[in-house]
Amino acid sequence: MNALQRHRALSRIWASDPGWRGWCTSVNHTDLGRMFMAVSAFFFIVGGILAMLIRAQLASPRSAFMGPEHYNQIFTMHGTIMMFLFAIPMFEGLAVYLLPKMLGSRDLAFPRLTAYGFWCYVFGGAMMIFSLLAGIAPDSGWFMYPPLSSTINSPGINSDFWLIGITFVEISAIAAAVEITVTILRYRAPGMSLVRMPIFAWYALVTAVMILTGFPPLILGSILLELERAFGLPFFQVAHGGDALLWQHLFWLFGHPEVYIIFLPAAGAISTILPVMSRTRLLGHPWVIASAVSLAVLSFGLWVHHMFTTGIPHLALAFFSAASTLVAVPTAVQIFAWIGTIAKGRPQLHLPMMWMLSFFATFVIGGLTGVMVAVVPFDWQAHDTYFIVAHLHYVLIGGFVFPMLGALYYWMPHVTGRKTFFKLGNTAFWLIVPGFHGTFLLLHWVGLLGMRRRIDTFDPGQGWEVINIIASVSSFVMAIGFALVLIDVVVNAAVAIRGSRDPWGAGTLEWAMPTPAAPYNFASLPQITSREPLWDTPELPLQLARGEGYLGDPSRNRRETLTVEPTTGRPEYIVVFPGNTALPMLMSAVTGLFFLGMLIKAYWLVPVAALGVLACALVWTWGLQRPAPEGPLPVGRGLSLPIASEVAHPPGWWGSLFLLVADGTFFGSLLFGYAFLWTIAPNWPPQQWAEAGLLPVALLIGGTFLALAASRVRSLWPVTCAAMLAMALAAVMVLRAVPDPGQHAYAATVWVLAGYAVLHQGLALIMAGFFGATRIAGHAPETTGGLHNIARLWSDYAVAVSVMGIGAALLPGWG
Amino acid sequence: MSAVILTPVLLTGCDETLSTVHPAGPAAAVIAQLWWVLLAGSVVITTLVAMLVLWAWRRPEGAVSERRFVIGLGLAFPMTVLAALLAYGLIIGEKLLPHQGPEVVSVTAEARQYAWRFGYADLPGRITDDVLHIPAARPVDVAITSADVIHAFWVPRLAGKLDAVPGHVNTLRIEAASPGEYAGLGAEYNGPGYRGHGFTVIAHDPAGWQAFLQGEAP
Amino acid sequence: MGTVLRLALPLTAWLAAFSAIYGLNGWLCTTDLTDAKARTVLAVAVLLAVAMQVGLFIWLRRCDWQAAGPTLRGVALTLAVVALVGTAWTLLPGLLLSRCV
Repeated sequence: MNALQRHRALSRIWASDPGWRGWCTSVNHTDLGRMFMAVSAFFFIVGGILAMLIRAQLASPRSAFMGPEHYNQIFTMHGTIMMFLFAIPMFEGLAVYLLPKMLGSRDLAFPRLTAYGFWCYVFGGAMMIFSLLAGIAPDSGWFMYPPLSSTINSPGINSDFWLIGITFVEISAIAAAVEITVTILRYRAPGMSLVRMPIFAWYALVTAVMILTGFPPLILGSILLELERAFGLPFFQVAHGGDALLWQHLFWLFGHPEVYIIFLPAAGAISTILPVMSRTRLLGHPWVIASAVSLAVLSFGLWVHHMFTTGIPHLALAFFSAASTLVAVPTAVQIFAWIGTIAKGRPQLHLPMMWMLSFFATFVIGGLTGVMVAVVPFDWQAHDTYFIVAHLHYVLIGGFVFPMLGALYYWMPHVTGRKTFFKLGNTAFWLIVPGFHGTFLLLHWVGLLGMRRRIDTFDPGQGWEVINIIASVSSFVMAIGFALVLIDVVVNAAVAIRGSRDPWGAGTLEWAMPTPAAPYNFASLPQITSREPLWDTPELPLQLARGEGYLGDPSRNRRETLTVEPTTGRPEYIVVFPGNTALPMLMSAVTGLFFLGMLIKAYWLVPVAALGVLACALVWTWGLQRPAPEGPLPVGRGLSLPIASEVAHPPGWWGSLFLLVADGTFFGSLLFGYAFLWTIAPNWPPQQWAEAGLLPVALLIGGTFLALAASRVRSLWPVTCAAMLAMALAAVMVLRAVPDPGQHAYAATVWVLAGYAVLHQGLALIMAGFFGATRIAGHAPETTGGLHNIARLWSDYAVAVSVMGIGAALLPGWG
Repeated sequence: MSAVILTPVLLTGCDETLSTVHPAGPAAAVIAQLWWVLLAGSVVITTLVAMLVLWAWRRPEGAVSERRFVIGLGLAFPMTVLAALLAYGLIIGEKLLPHQGPEVVSVTAEARQYAWRFGYADLPGRITDDVLHIPAARPVDVAITSADVIHAFWVPRLAGKLDAVPGHVNTLRIEAASPGEYAGLGAEYNGPGYRGHGFTVIAHDPAGWQAFLQGEAP
Repeated sequence: MGTVLRLALPLTAWLAAFSAIYGLNGWLCTTDLTDAKARTVLAVAVLLAVAMQVGLFIWLRRCDWQAAGPTLRGVALTLAVVALVGTAWTLLPGLLLSRCV
C-alpha cells in the first residue's frame, strides 16, 4: 500500500459527513476545534461591540447615549461574554485543535464528549445572546454579588439568565477539561514520555486541571443562588442565617484561578512560538514547567485579594497579600526565561513575534499593577475604580489576547494550509497595540482620581474628561485593528496559495503532517525520541505518510489510535473511536431543555429533560460495549497491544476519575460553604438542628459496608444497587427532619447535602445496573472488567459523599 | 517627588474632590505616598525589562547563563523586591487599622439604595442623612453596615474604602487633617442608582464640633 | 500518573494548609480565647505546616525516580522547595498582625 492509497483508506474511515450534516455529526477534533474557535471569535466580536458601546457612553460627561438600566446590562454582559464565552472557549478550541496533533495522536480521548461540550457552549451562549437582544440581560455586574442579584433586588429573569446560562456553558468547560487531561496523560505517540512532551501540552494539562478544580465553586455558587431565587432557600440572606459573603468566597475561589486559566494557555503559546521565532530551544525548560505548576496551585490561594475591602481581619488579609506577591515570582521566572531565549537565539521579526513583543510591553505593566493591588492599603483606594479596570485589561488583553493573536498568525498556515497572503496583519498590529495603550494606560490615573468602575456616566470637573475621550477614541482605533484581523483571516482562508508544510521551521509534531490536516492527522503514529522530533528527523513526515510508524495499516477499517503509560510513554493499548453521530448534539439539546425548564420556571420539563439526558447517555455508553474479546492486536513495528475495552482501566475510567476530581471539588466547596455559614454568618444557630434518630444512621452505615464490599465482586451488582437504595432512604429520612428548607440556611444546606448524596447514589445505582445489563446480555468477562472498575469508582464516591454529607448534616444535632 | 511634577500637568484647573492622590487626611496621605513609591518602582522595573528585551534582541546568537536569567532575574530579584514591598504594605496596613485610643470618635454609617444614614456615639439619637459630621484632626471610627445590598463607604481624600455588608459591621478609621467638606461615595456597584450614591463628610474645627454635639444644626 | 501526583503534591499541601489556617483564624475569632493563646495555636499550626513541607521534600528526594528521569525529579524537588518557601512566605508575616480587626 503506497502513501496515497493509505491516505484514501484512512480518509474514508475518518472523514466527517459531507455538507451541513457534517457540522452536526462531526466528532473530529480538527472540525470541533475550528468550530470552537470560530464561535468564540464571534462572541469576542459581540463582547467587543458592547465594549464600544461602553466607550461611546463614557466618551463625554453627562452622556445621554443610554441610561443606567441599559448600561448596566451592557457592562455586565461585556465581562460575562469575554470571560465565559470568549476566553475559556478559545483556549478549549485551540487545545482541541492542537493537542492530538502535537502529541502524535489521531483524536482526543472522548470525541463525542468534545462535540457534546461544543453544543452545550453554543446553546448556552445562544441563551445569553437572546437575553441581550430581548433587553432582559443580567445587570448585576459580571460577578453577580447577592443580595443585589437575588430576588428582592433583581426580581426579573435577568439574573436567572446568568446563573442558568453560564452553568450550562460550564458543562463545556468541564467536558473539555476532562478530555484534555486524559488526552495529555495518555493519548500520546509511543516514546513521548512526560519529559519529551511539548511545553504547550504541559500548560494545557495544568490549565485543564485548574478548570476541573476552579469551576466547581462557581457552579455550586450559581446553583445555590438559583435555588435561593427560585425556591427561597436563603443561602445568601442574612436574616435567615445566610451570608452575602459566601457568594464572594465561592465566586472568587473560581474567579482568581480563572485569571490564570486564561493566562496559562497564552503562556504555553508563547513558550512554544517564541523559541521557534528565535531559532532556538526554550531556556530553562524544567524551570518553566515548575513555574506553570506553581502558578496553577498558588493561584488558588489568592481569592481573598478580591475581597480586601469586605472587612476580613488584617491577619487573614496578610496571608492573601503575601500569596499575591509570591505568585509574581513564577511569572517572573517565565518572563526572564523567555527573554533569555530571545538572547540565546537569533530572533526574527515575523508577525507572531511582534505579538510576543507586544505581550512583553503590556503584560509586564499589568503584572506590576497587579503587584500594586496585592498591597492591601493601596487596594483599599484602588478597589472598584478604573485603576482595576485598567489593570485587568492589561493582564487579560496583554496576557491572553495579544499572545493568542500571535498564535493565530503562527498556526493559521497550519489550519488553512496556505501561505500568509496579505500584509494586513501588520497594519492591524499597529492599530491594536497603540490603540490598546491609548485606551487603558491613562485609565489607571482616572481611577486614582476617583472614577469608580460601573458608573453609567460622570459629571465634568474632576479631571476625567480628557482621559475618557482619549480612551474612547483609542478604543475605536483598536476596534478597527481587530476588524482588520478578521478581514485578514477571511482573506487568507479564501486565497489559494499553497504554503510549505512547516513554514516556521518548528520542531513539534503538529508540523509533521500535510496541511490542512487530514481527518486522521497521522497516516501512522511516530516513535518519539526527543522533544523536537522534526528537528532530529526532518524526514519524519514522509516516513509517517509511508506508514512506517504505528497503526499504519487501515485494514481493520475502524478509527484507531494508541495510548501510552503517562510517565514513560510506553505504548499500552489501542483505542477504537466511535464514528460520526448526531447523538452529542441531540443530548446537549435535551440538556438545554433541562436548563430552559429551570429558566422559564416550567418545572415539569426539568425531570423530563433529565430522563432524556439519561436515555441519551445510556444509548451513548451502550454503543461502546463489545460483547466478545479480540485479544492483542498487531499495531505495526512488531508490537501487539490489547484494545481499550479489554483493559482494567480504560479511558472511561480515567475520564470518570477526573470528572470525580471536579465533582469532589464541588462537594468540598459545599462543605466549605456550610462551615463558613456555621462560623461566620450572623443569625446562627437555627431554631432547630436536624435530628433524625438512629434508623438513618444505621441504614447509612449498613449501606456503606454493603456497597464497599459488593461493588468489588462482579456478581454482586444487585447488592450494590440495594445498598444505594438503603443510603438514599437514609438521606430522605434526614430531609424529613428539616421540613422547611426556606426557613434557615442550615435547613437549606441540609437539603442540598442530602440531595447531592441522593444524586450520586442514583448515579452509582445506574452504573451498577448498567454493568448488570452487560452481564445479562452475555458480554464476555474480558470486555467488562473496565466497566466494572468504572462502576466501582462511582459507587465508592457515592459512599464517601453520602457518609460525609449526611454526617455533616446530622453533626450539629448530635451533641 | 514626581507627584509634584506630574500632578499640575494633568490636573490644572480641576476640582479634585474625589482624588486619592490629593489626600486630606493621614490615611489617604500614607496610601498616596505608597502609590508614588509603587509607581516609581514600576517605572524602573518596566524600563529595565524593556532594556533587557532590547539587549536580548540585538545580542548575537549564543549560549546564555540559565542560572543568571532564571535564578538571578527570575527568582532572587523579584523575591527581594516583593519581600520589601510586602513588609512595607503590611506595616502601613497595620497602622491604618481602627486601633483603640483616647481621642477616637465613633460614628455609624448605614447604607441603603441609594442613601446614607449616619449616627453618633457621642450624640445618641441624632441621625443625619447623606451628611457625616466629624471633628477635624481627630481619628474617627466609622462602623459601617448595610440595610439592603452590599455597598462601600469611601471618602477618597481621607482613607481607603470598606464595604457595607448586610448583617456585618465593618469599622473604618478616617481622619481629616483640617476642617472642610469632603466628598464621599458608595463604591460598590449597587444597581441603577449607583452613580448618584454619594454623601458629604463635614469636618468641623473644635468649636464647630462642640456646637454639633450640643445639637445645633450646622 | 504517580509522577504527576508527586509534582502536584507539595503545593497542594501548601494550599490545604494555607486554607485551613485561614479558616482556623476565622474560627478562633468567634471564640473567646485570649489573644496570646490564639496566636500560639496559629503559630503551632504554621510550624506544623512548615514541618510537613520539610517532610515532603525529604520524602520526594528518597522516592524512586527511575521511570520519570532526573529532569522531573529536579522539577519535583524545585516545586517542593517552592511549597516550603511559600508556606513560610504566606503564613508567617500575618502572625505578627491584628488578628480579628
